[in-house]
Amino acid sequence: MLEVQNLTKIYDGGTVALRDLSFTVKDGEFLVIIGLSGSGKSTLLRCINRLIEPTEGRIIWDGVDITLLSGAELRHARRRIGMIFQQFNLVKRSSVLTNVLSGRLGYVNPWRSAVGRFPKEDVEQALICLDRVGILDQAHKRADELSGGQQQRVGIARALMQEPTLILADEPVASLDPATSHSILRYIEDLNRDEGVTVLCSLHFLSLARAYASRIIALKDGEMVFEGLPAEIDDARFKEIYGEEAIQVEIR
Amino acid sequence: MSAQEERQEKPAKEPRGLLSSRRFIGALFVGILVYAYAWQSTEINLRKLVTGYPDIVHIVTQIVQPDVLSRDKEYQEVLTNFQLPCTDSPPERMAASESEPYLVLSHTCGVPGEPLSVEGFNLRPNTRGTVRWIPPAGTIRSLAHFDSDGEGHFVEGISIPSVDESEELHQIQAELRWEVGLPYASETARIVFDKMLETIMLALMATTLGVFAAVPLSFLAARNLMSVSRPTMIIYFVIRGIFNIVRSIEPLIWAVVFAVWVGIGPFAGVLALGMHSIAALGKLYSEQVESIDTGPIEAVTATGANVLQTIVYAVVPQIVPPYLAFTIYRWDINVRMSTIIGMVGGGGVGFLLIQWVNLLRYKQAGVAVWAITVVVWVMDFISAYVREKIV
Ligand SMILES: Nc1ncnc2c1ncn2[C@@H]1O[C@H](COP(=O)(O)OP(=O)(O)OP(=O)(O)O)[C@@H](O)[C@H]1O
Ligand SMILES: [Mg+2]
Repeated sequence: MLEVQNLTKIYDGGTVALRDLSFTVKDGEFLVIIGLSGSGKSTLLRCINRLIEPTEGRIIWDGVDITLLSGAELRHARRRIGMIFQQFNLVKRSSVLTNVLSGRLGYVNPWRSAVGRFPKEDVEQALICLDRVGILDQAHKRADELSGGQQQRVGIARALMQEPTLILADEPVASLDPATSHSILRYIEDLNRDEGVTVLCSLHFLSLARAYASRIIALKDGEMVFEGLPAEIDDARFKEIYGEEAIQVEIR
Repeated sequence: MSAQEERQEKPAKEPRGLLSSRRFIGALFVGILVYAYAWQSTEINLRKLVTGYPDIVHIVTQIVQPDVLSRDKEYQEVLTNFQLPCTDSPPERMAASESEPYLVLSHTCGVPGEPLSVEGFNLRPNTRGTVRWIPPAGTIRSLAHFDSDGEGHFVEGISIPSVDESEELHQIQAELRWEVGLPYASETARIVFDKMLETIMLALMATTLGVFAAVPLSFLAARNLMSVSRPTMIIYFVIRGIFNIVRSIEPLIWAVVFAVWVGIGPFAGVLALGMHSIAALGKLYSEQVESIDTGPIEAVTATGANVLQTIVYAVVPQIVPPYLAFTIYRWDINVRMSTIIGMVGGGGVGFLLIQWVNLLRYKQAGVAVWAITVVVWVMDFISAYVREKIV
């Protein structure tokens, strides 16, 4: 279970990105976070694995307050939290396989890995993960030779290597076309359904959120303006979240 | 004129265009003055392109026939006596022979300015030779070149040179020279090869010096790393400033400085090129650090990697290939520069080149020129190829 309690993030410049946010995510949920650009979705996801330091509040995951961890404890918490990014965040000049293997860094001997050596089981596991996302044949290509959709699959394979129990996905399909978006989200959905991985995923399109979410929360200016089931978002709610001017765009 | 009037006038002015404006005529006038002065002060004289043309043709013909290969030489020499001026007993003519080479003069005594015919027999056939005048004292003079015919015979008309009269006999020499055996690398080629190697090593050392200093400095000159606090920002500005100053001073000037400091020679060249390399590489490297994509760093950190692992997996792949590419490019530039840095005392092949040019030994200079061209071309090719492979 993930509990976010009174989370506040104020950036150095004084921007209040998150304001006293509290919610709970049960194990095995597929929680989608929606909200306009700048509403604080990325900040929220990055606070959970402490890529960004929260200003105030607590984040309790499986009974451990992540905000209190540091050093090795923090790294150990992070290695069970996979993260998927809008820009894929692959190391472009490295091979696909190396990118996938880097998901294992939290587990392996740091000195051996520093000279590029991974245990044989990990290499095998990496190939299995690549096979699972359907790009085994690309393993030895340079990451930047792949298409956007393929790169995001590498991103998923990297997260899989962490054997995560929680996945944070920050707009994982925002730079992909609709068909590819669905195929990527389906991989995440499979993980959620078959392996019970808890997913926190921010999405731009409400139609996508409706299709995959078990629950939705909506942010506006760093505050939660909606929390509930996908079906509960009607026109009035939609206008509340996205503003009066907005019109719904469908992604099928 | 009030501000309002001015504003009203402006749109009226514009349609008249730049050409008709007084300012343009002024600018044109100033421009003409500047160019007139420049023409004068750079002593442009187009006629010299024509009058000097034969000289350059002479030099270029020698440069394009560099003294790269040589063959062993053999020669044959025949001497005969001549009296100047005539006395009662002029020297005997050389005895004719069936097989031995000999010279026949039209007369065996005379005075300067008189024509004289020299005829040779039984010499090496079809060979180039020279007729020389050997006075009993003083310098030997070449008087004519000839080619022996198929029977080893030649006739050459000369005019008796104005040499000091003396009681002793003068000698007239016919010497034939020819090459034998297989060609081998000339002495010049070997010297140039040695110096070329020195040049490439010089560039290597200079580049190495540059790399070792520039790698740590590049991090201190990267804005994204140094903007965290005021003191680090000051370091950033100081190092950037030094880079810019050092870089704007040409390596040739550094070479002059270091030639005075550590003496003429390749070490001065290493320091001069090294100095310039530090600044040039430092700037390129730091720009690379500045353009690092933070996404992968974020992603690798999120997997639970420690700082060392994050550097190895997310930072190194981003900066090492471009660092290598810049370094090879720099080495390429340094080889190019080191070929000329010798001209101002920095050692290497440039030193030879400038010496030979000053001694008007263009055939030797030609070897250096060709060696430089080839090495620069090859380096350029290799560096382009390797850079393409790694980036
Ligand atoms: N590093 C930062 N420093 C200062 N302010 C920041 C920083 N990152 C984000 N912000 C601000 O915090 C607010 C929330 O940003 P955030 O990136 O979390 O929004 P988002 O919902 O992810 O937007 P988007 O949909 O465009 O990705 C914005 O006003 C943004 O300008
Ligand atoms: Mg975002």
